Amino acid sequence: MTTPSYPTPRADTDNAAFLAGWREGRLVLQACNACSKAFFYPRAFCPHCWSDRIENRYASGKGRIVSYSLVHRPNDPAFNDEVPIALVEVELVEGATLIARVVDARPEDVRSGRSVALPPPEIGVRYPLPVFRLA
Amino acid sequence: MASAGKKPSPDIGILGFAESAYEKKTSRTLISMLAEVARNAVGSAGLKREDIDGIAVCSFVLPPDNAVTLAEQLGIPVSWAYFGTAGGAGPVASVINAMRAVEAGHAKNVLCLAADNYDVAGHYKLMDFFNKALINYGTPNGFGGANGLFGIVQRKHMETYGTRREDLGRIAVGQRASARLNENALLRGPMTIEDYLNARVIADPICLYDCVLPCAGADAVVVGPLDRAPAGKGIRVRAGYEQHNHPAGEIAPLRGGWELFRDRLWADAGYGPSDMDFVQAYDDYPIMVAIQLEDHGFAKKGEIGAFLAQHTFAFEGSFPLNTNGGQLSCGQAGAAGGMIGLVEAVRQLRGEAGPFQVAKAQRGLVSGYGMVGYGHGLSSSSVVLERLS
Repeated sequence: MTTPSYPTPRADTDNAAFLAGWREGRLVLQACNACSKAFFYPRAFCPHCWSDRIENRYASGKGRIVSYSLVHRPNDPAFNDEVPIALVEVELVEGATLIARVVDARPEDVRSGRSVALPPPEIGVRYPLPVFRLA
Repeated sequence: MASAGKKPSPDIGILGFAESAYEKKTSRTLISMLAEVARNAVGSAGLKREDIDGIAVCSFVLPPDNAVTLAEQLGIPVSWAYFGTAGGAGPVASVINAMRAVEAGHAKNVLCLAADNYDVAGHYKLMDFFNKALINYGTPNGFGGANGLFGIVQRKHMETYGTRREDLGRIAVGQRASARLNENALLRGPMTIEDYLNARVIADPICLYDCVLPCAGADAVVVGPLDRAPAGKGIRVRAGYEQHNHPAGEIAPLRGGWELFRDRLWADAGYGPSDMDFVQAYDDYPIMVAIQLEDHGFAKKGEIGAFLAQHTFAFEGSFPLNTNGGQLSCGQAGAAGGMIGLVEAVRQLRGEAGPFQVAKAQRGLVSGYGMVGYGHGLSSSSVVLERLS
């Protein structure tokens, strides 16, 4: 399987650890050592308390679908062969929420409330950002 | 909670308005479209070009130009300049800020402009590069632009509150009935609730008639002292508020900044929801119209479905809503999508809406929404407008 030329995130010092983690198929989540809250997307400071005592931690990769849409018309043509894109709001067990794809699932099986987990790293790294599978 | 603002001066308001032709594609430059509505709005206000000494502009594709370089293009010196950063909430916010500028003496008469001249492809490109969070964490997911994000919001509202597509569809169908009488609406064909329900899926549960058609167009109003308004044409701004990034940190909230200022908005206006003769709500999607109606108190949170089921929404319906057809039928001219409702409200209150005139329109609500960040629109704005009696 050839990997489509997906649009990619722009690397910078704020997201370097997150992107490096995903290159190994692991989800790196930031957490604040001052207020203990986890958050996404990556920042150089905590959006909850403005502390810069930020720690990058490997997240469990486990979460729950809060809501979702099935995108039949993606903006970028790189995704056209994979429609519908299951675009989901995921609440991670660590407490942070993010927007991500659920891959390798039949669209009708994607449902709010379902548990998700990261795919094996060799599958995950095909994608530019963390993706999930139904658990 | 945002602090209570000072009530708008009763002596300052909206003196004139203008709207360009809406086009699916255009060869016109953005500056030429802005110049056209500037000239026509100043004429509608009974003013001369020399009377304008403040400028506000909202536009996605205007950069690298801005409010100041637009003043150079238009050849007018200004003592106050404002470039909107709140997307579709920007134009209503620009009027609130122009009111304050006039009251504070920074300008006498302010031209508030909004325009964009892209098409469907241009809109896709815009959304992929809309801001840093979407560039990095939305676009690489094939997120489908606003459609994908608002599909998540709509499904959550449906699953949380039991809101049904057949109820939301009444918004699109009602607005289309008005648009059929508006020669400037790009989508004027008949639409039934069956058409709405059976339309092509775009980002399930969002289907074709939940979406706006990106287009080119320009809108404008003039803010100044009401004693300069042509006889019987001045529009008072009874109340106005804006709010950004509320609720902070939520990806797909079922509420917006309106809920924070609603009570003060109605208190300042001296009216409540039932006193409105029409509502012009930002209609990027029917679900966001529904959420705006809830947040302004027309229905309790989560009970909008029953409200929608018992009303009709054409200009002559039981609840006149986006009475020229709104963005859903006229098209979304980028940031001008945040001014089309303002212009339509002024048109109605001046009695100039012709075939889609709301009978005895004395006052109405206009709300804005926009600047999609990581998951949803970050900005909300509202004004209550009233014709001078």
